[in-house]
Amino acid sequence: MYKTLIALAALAAAGLAQAEVSNYSIDPTHTFVTFEAKHFNTSTLRGRFDRKDGAVTLDRAAKSGRAEITIDTSSVNTGVGPLDGHLKSKDFFNVAQSPSISFVGDKFSFEGDKVTAVTGTLTMLGKTLPVTLNASHFNCYNNPLFKREVCGGDFETTIARSQWGMTYGLNFGIPDQVRLLIQIEAVKQ
Amino acid sequence: MPARLHRTLLAASLGALLCGAAAAQSVGYLLAPAHTKVHWEVRHFGTSTQRGWFADVQGSVRLDRNSGRGDVSVSIATASVSSGVAVLDGMLRGNNFLAATDHPTAYFVATGLRFDGERLAEVRGEFTLRGISRPMALRALNFGCRTDAMLQREVCGGDFEAELRRSEFGSTFGLPFVGDTVRLLIAVEGVRE
Repeated sequence: MYKTLIALAALAAAGLAQAEVSNYSIDPTHTFVTFEAKHFNTSTLRGRFDRKDGAVTLDRAAKSGRAEITIDTSSVNTGVGPLDGHLKSKDFFNVAQSPSISFVGDKFSFEGDKVTAVTGTLTMLGKTLPVTLNASHFNCYNNPLFKREVCGGDFETTIARSQWGMTYGLNFGIPDQVRLLIQIEAVKQ
Repeated sequence: MPARLHRTLLAASLGALLCGAAAAQSVGYLLAPAHTKVHWEVRHFGTSTQRGWFADVQGSVRLDRNSGRGDVSVSIATASVSSGVAVLDGMLRGNNFLAATDHPTAYFVATGLRFDGERLAEVRGEFTLRGISRPMALRALNFGCRTDAMLQREVCGGDFEAELRRSEFGSTFGLPFVGDTVRLLIAVEGVRE
């Protein structure tokens, strides 16, 4: 019986170790999606979305996680007013019909304690397609302002916008390839 | 025609020809505001990259591809900083960072250019921020020229990269949590004059 109790205790401990799920809420002041596209093969145009929110669940013991991020497309910002207006129109983000873009990542890749990639789907203009965000940097730290753990990093991916039905300008030199640079920091709840 | 007048006309036209030829080697470009921006990147708590830009950037470029020389001058309105976080923009304009009230303009002036054939590869010069000037080299990540269909003019431009240490310009607030190294990415397009 003694051996059985020890075995049960070991099993219980293993079970507890498995359930190391932590919930994080996105810090919107340190989370941004920046997009880049080449302008007529000359200079790179960079813009961002100013309004977004989301949550992340991480289980570093089980090497799993889930991330959900929603972007308000009307907050697109290139620093150039007329261009922002064009991007919000039916030609590009069609903000009136499609007020948000969302990413749901449910497959996390780890290297030790560090997240190296998140695979999931990107929903834009009514279409949902798979994307993988690759981490160029990942780190967790104790934030002295929040007095909580913050995890985050830099992720990137390149998409072909035509796959989501955004085809304006492909025939006169506006590129299909759009690079997404994602800064993310999320605060442990 | 009297000989004296003939010689004067000849001298004048030779002079005009020579000056004209020399001027034609060096081409001026005015930076297009809608396609000229200075982006910046800084590490936050060693974790993620904070990005932003300066929306108000003006300047002009002269390129002489034959002699490999030219002039570049770019001026940045420091108050036009934009990070996407209004409160942060206010802090960045303050004395701990850009000191925009005392120093409303940051600027870059070239001292030397390096060409790779037709392609501008590097611009060495001096960058002035918070009233302090330091050497800076802008490396071209890409550079090209096109005939713009709308403007019907030559447009040259590219993406240039440089790094600075903000502490060298007197901004030490937040070190090391807000990184010292600031990466600048300058996207620029100039329209031929």
